[in-house]
Amino acid sequence: MPGRAAAERIRKAIALVNAVADGAGDEDLTPTEIAEAIRDCLELSEIEQGSNVRKYLGEALDAVSDGMPADFVAMTLYAALGALGESRSGS
Amino acid sequence: MKSAEGRGRTLDEAVDAALIELGESRRNVDVRVMSESPGETVVEVTVIDHSVAPVIGTAAPANGKAETARSLVEGLLKHMGVRAQVTVRTAADPITIDISGRDLGALIGWRGETLRALQSVTNVMLGKQLAEGERVIVDVERYRQRREHTVREIALRAARQVKMTGDAITLDAMQAFERRAIHLALQDDPDVGSSSIGEEPDRRVVVGPRKPETS
Repeated sequence: MPGRAAAERIRKAIALVNAVADGAGDEDLTPTEIAEAIRDCLELSEIEQGSNVRKYLGEALDAVSDGMPADFVAMTLYAALGALGESRSGS
Repeated sequence: MKSAEGRGRTLDEAVDAALIELGESRRNVDVRVMSESPGETVVEVTVIDHSVAPVIGTAAPANGKAETARSLVEGLLKHMGVRAQVTVRTAADPITIDISGRDLGALIGWRGETLRALQSVTNVMLGKQLAEGERVIVDVERYRQRREHTVREIALRAARQVKMTGDAITLDAMQAFERRAIHLALQDDPDVGSSSIGEEPDRRVVVGPRKPETS
């Protein structure tokens, strides 16, 4: 199904950010790892250029590099996931 | 608060015994393991008192932050067109906002995804009102609390099995707050410990015999 891989990768990035926010205390995640997970999403060709999904992912990447709180990054990634869902239901 | 002691050969049996005595269902209680041996498990089961939480309009005045968070969540739900009661959980640290009402499954979402998103938005909107590292927890119909109880029970069951067999057990993939609940449940166990393996979102807790400390 189109968009499935993208949804999985975005969810992986969200899980990483939530692990930082929730502090399970069983892993040591760096912003670089989170940024890599978001870049993995952006590399997918199924995420169209100029789409809202790409826009939100870009914002999330900026938020990570700017040192924004984990909840802010998570919120932006949820927005990307929502936009992906909208684009899938609209296509 | 109503509570009862339950005894049984297994954790499930002990909890069930206490639930029968209380006339309550599992979702309405908090379980604390008093003692555990191969032959008998003793638990204390306490009924969660929903009535002590303040209702809309009568929120706890002692905590301004909690009230701000409550009214913020209430406003978000209103914009989403969700009719629900929003309350501040009393004596909860960190601040916990409870949402209750009918048909709120959509607000929880797949594996709690929508609930988690709502919590992220709430924390971002509260922003500077929260101290560094301080966060607000949002719970719908005590979903999160019930999940924590469930994984704690899973952890204790796994620990018992590890003690009997000596073999480590790998649990299903869990979210960070669930893994945290397991680590906390087993942290004082002298014989069994927990660690995590794998990468998000497939990170799993391994419950195994605690290795003797090397000096």
